[in-house]
Order: sequence, then structure tokens, then C-alpha cells
Amino acid sequence: MERDKAEAARELANWHYGVEPDLTQVIRIITDNEDDPGEPIKLLEVNAATFATGSVEPYAFAASASTPFPTVIAEVTPEEFARIEAKEIELPEGWSLTDAHRFPRPHAA
Amino acid sequence: MTEEERRRAFADAFIRQARSDRNVHRLLLASKDVEACHALHYLQMTCEKLAKAYRLRDTKAPVDDLVRSHAGFAKFVGAYMTVTLKRQLPSNQLAALIRAARKLAREIEKLAPAIDRDVSPVNAEYPWEVDDQVMTPCSYSFPSLELLRQSGGRAFLKLIDAALADFERVTVV
Repeated sequence: MERDKAEAARELANWHYGVEPDLTQVIRIITDNEDDPGEPIKLLEVNAATFATGSVEPYAFAASASTPFPTVIAEVTPEEFARIEAKEIELPEGWSLTDAHRFPRPHAA
Repeated sequence: MTEEERRRAFADAFIRQARSDRNVHRLLLASKDVEACHALHYLQMTCEKLAKAYRLRDTKAPVDDLVRSHAGFAKFVGAYMTVTLKRQLPSNQLAALIRAARKLAREIEKLAPAIDRDVSPVNAEYPWEVDDQVMTPCSYSFPSLELLRQSGGRAFLKLIDAALADFERVTVV
């Protein structure tokens, strides 16, 4: 199950890199209960083409045919991400950049 | 009630209902085993009421015309984003964001069954006919509105929530 979830997270990250040309980072947040069946994939995405709100708002999506795991995504600007790293903006409860997995942008073929 | 009192009362009522619709949309979007049409139905209702709330309060268009019409969210999106983001973003980036948001907004407007069913029969509520087949909303995947995967999908949800939260402090003219 964990390997499939990791693969689904990777696929979604790669998909987002493909449709969001200004996406600079996709970070998968890993929590202690990551192996629980209902625990969603959690992605923090840094997108230069979004707008700032000053907070990190997660959006939850149920599992679907294209992404077969529940998913929670928060999208921030590069400036907001710098403030997150500086601990000036809080992450959602339970989220941490410690042990997070960063998906690099796939190289163009 | 005077006409201005009536305008304000409807504007306040529409924003309250839009916020309630968005709460249900949020629940449906995250709920397993719920067909996409139901979340999209609530998203379309949220967006329509959101635009009506601002237009009722911030324009002098006839109250009854605004209350009864369906279209207007795509137009609202551009106006709202210009007012709230023009100081935050360079003009070319703002223009690109508005284009992306309007594209999704137009798709959402088309989900209302009263909008141009001959041209755009796909909607979130009622069966429709195409190529001698009768289609059911609950069996349709609405691929252009899969906000988890669509370009700008997540930003679009941020936009809706920002506009809902900003109503008491932002005027869109």
C-alpha cells in the first residue's frame, strides 16, 4: 500500500509540474501515521504563478480514478515558502518540513 | 424596504448562502464515494451567489435582474482579481492568472442547467442528450473541472475562498 501511495504522489507531482509551468517545488509532507489507510497524500506546492494569501490553506480531495488516494494540497508563492522556512508562516497542524520528500521537476525528454 | 435596503439585504443574503454552499462543496470534494457532479453542483452555486453578492452591493444593476440571472461569475473573477491583486503582482502575471481563472469560471458557469443547453448540454444536475445517447451527471467525470489536476485548479479554489472572505472589506466596481 505504501509503495502505491508513494507512486501516486510522484505521479501527481509530475502531473502538476506538467500543467503548471511556474511550479518550482512539490514537497510531500510525511506524518507519523502515513501508513494509516485513510491518511491522505499531503503536498505543499510552491508556485510562482499563484497569489499570496499570507497563510497555508490546505485543500482536500477524495480519491479518484486518476489519483486513487485522498489528497490534501496547499499552494504557496515562493515568497510565502521562504517565510514558511523562516517559521514566519505556520504550516497546517501536523505538517512539518522535517522528513518531507521533495519531488524534483522532471527533466524534459 | 427601500430599493437600496432591498439591494443590501439581497447582497448580504447571497454572500451568506455562498459561504454555506462552499462549506458543503468542501465536504463533498473530500468525501469518498460521492460522484463529481454533486461537488461541482455546489461549486457552481457558490460561484454564482458569490458574484451576485458583490454585483448587488457594488453596482446599480436592477436588483431583480441580478437575482434572477445565471451568468456573471467569469466577469466577476477578472474584476475581483484586478482590485485585490494589482499591487501584489506584475501586470503580465496578473493577466495570466485572470485568464486561467476565467477559463475555469466559464466552465463552471456552464454547469448551471439553465445556461445555453443547446450549445453546452453538460451540466451538474439533469441528464442530457448527445449523439443519440442520454448522459447522466452522476456517471460523467467532468474532466475539464477536475480541480486536483487542472492547471490553475488549486489557485481557483484559493480565489473563491479569498473572495468569500473579502466581501466585507473589498468593493469590486
